[in-house]
Amino acid sequence: MNEILSQEKSIYIQIREMIENDILRDILLEEERVPSTNELAKAYAINPATAAKGVNLLVDEGILYKKRGIGMFVAAGAKEKIAARRRERFFDDYVKSLLREAKSLGITREELIEMLRRADEGGKTDE
Amino acid sequence: MSKLTASGVTKVYGGKEALSQVSLELEQGKIYGLIGRNGAGKTTLLSVLTAQNPAASGEVLLDGQKVWENPKALSQLCFSRELNQMSGNTSNALKVKEYLRIASVYLPCWDQEMADRLVKKFGLDVKKRISRLSKGMMSMVTIIVALASKAPFTFLDEPAAGLDVVSREQFYQLLLDEYAESGRTFVISTHIIEEAADIFEEVIILDQGKVLLKENTQELLERSIFVSGHEQEVDKATAGLKVHHPERLGRSKGVTVLLEPGESLPDGYDVSVQKPSLQKVFVALCGEEAGHENERD
Repeated sequence: MNEILSQEKSIYIQIREMIENDILRDILLEEERVPSTNELAKAYAINPATAAKGVNLLVDEGILYKKRGIGMFVAAGAKEKIAARRRERFFDDYVKSLLREAKSLGITREELIEMLRRADEGGKTDE
Repeated sequence: MSKLTASGVTKVYGGKEALSQVSLELEQGKIYGLIGRNGAGKTTLLSVLTAQNPAASGEVLLDGQKVWENPKALSQLCFSRELNQMSGNTSNALKVKEYLRIASVYLPCWDQEMADRLVKKFGLDVKKRISRLSKGMMSMVTIIVALASKAPFTFLDEPAAGLDVVSREQFYQLLLDEYAESGRTFVISTHIIEEAADIFEEVIILDQGKVLLKENTQELLERSIFVSGHEQEVDKATAGLKVHHPERLGRSKGVTVLLEPGESLPDGYDVSVQKPSLQKVFVALCGEEAGHENERD
């Protein structure tokens, strides 16, 4: 949880994404307690109600669960769930916007496919 | 749940309305930000809400009981006034420890242990006279009074003024700590909007003595958009929407829009849409003369 909040997105969305990122990177492990809303509020100087809103989104999705009187925990299978949802969103968030930008620049489908291939190969030779 | 309610509060200074028909409800357990330009009536509003100043008309009620000259209601409220060199009030002649002692007498829930701890934390010299303090130290004194008052409804007037950035961060942390522990209500006026925006659960915008807006901060930011691009495209995209504070540069134009329920920006126009900060929203709403420049296409 060392990322800095930006103003491009709603704070509670950012809180949710930060917790997700920490789960994906094994900073937070399954069945482990996540910081409380008051701890999050203090760490990022935000209102606890806003932090709670982000955390509750993850509870609704079954990524976190509440243990009464103890706190919030990472659910079993949370990591896979987050990855699956992000793969779904990859199409909307990246592929569609890539196509939109390519279209506005007059880049043809063939040119775009060629660029992807070149980038992929370039990435391999860089390593 | 306690509630502090102002209804139709009007306050007149020298024939001019400093507050006109202000109605608002403050709930227990929230941090409210009060923002407005200089002279918007922020300090007057805080002093009327805490019955330190009578209203010309209207009333302030705590759980249905009038606050004015009501010791029981007043024991629930603390207004920590801004101290400054110019205010020429009697507190300037007092030493810090005398000022704090007076606060401890007037505020029934006073927490001396907390006051001592904060004095130490801020490194305040309690033997100094208020008038000899720097602006930042004066702010610290007002913050100590507010936090140690333990009043269920606590009002701070410009607590961040004069504080350096490290002290301001300290203040926000102290505030969030105390809030998490006690669930007290805090109403905080500030000009340093950007820093504090995320701390406020609700924001109250005061403009020329009137409440322009009182809303959950995050919800306000979610419905606020800044639309920019070619003037014609921006005009077409925002047709029918209420736009604020148009900014022009050559052929380009940017406008701030607060979307009402059911409104949205139509697709298909070549415009950029960004999320403005609370400060930008505030300037868009209060940066023009009484809304005369607002357009509705």
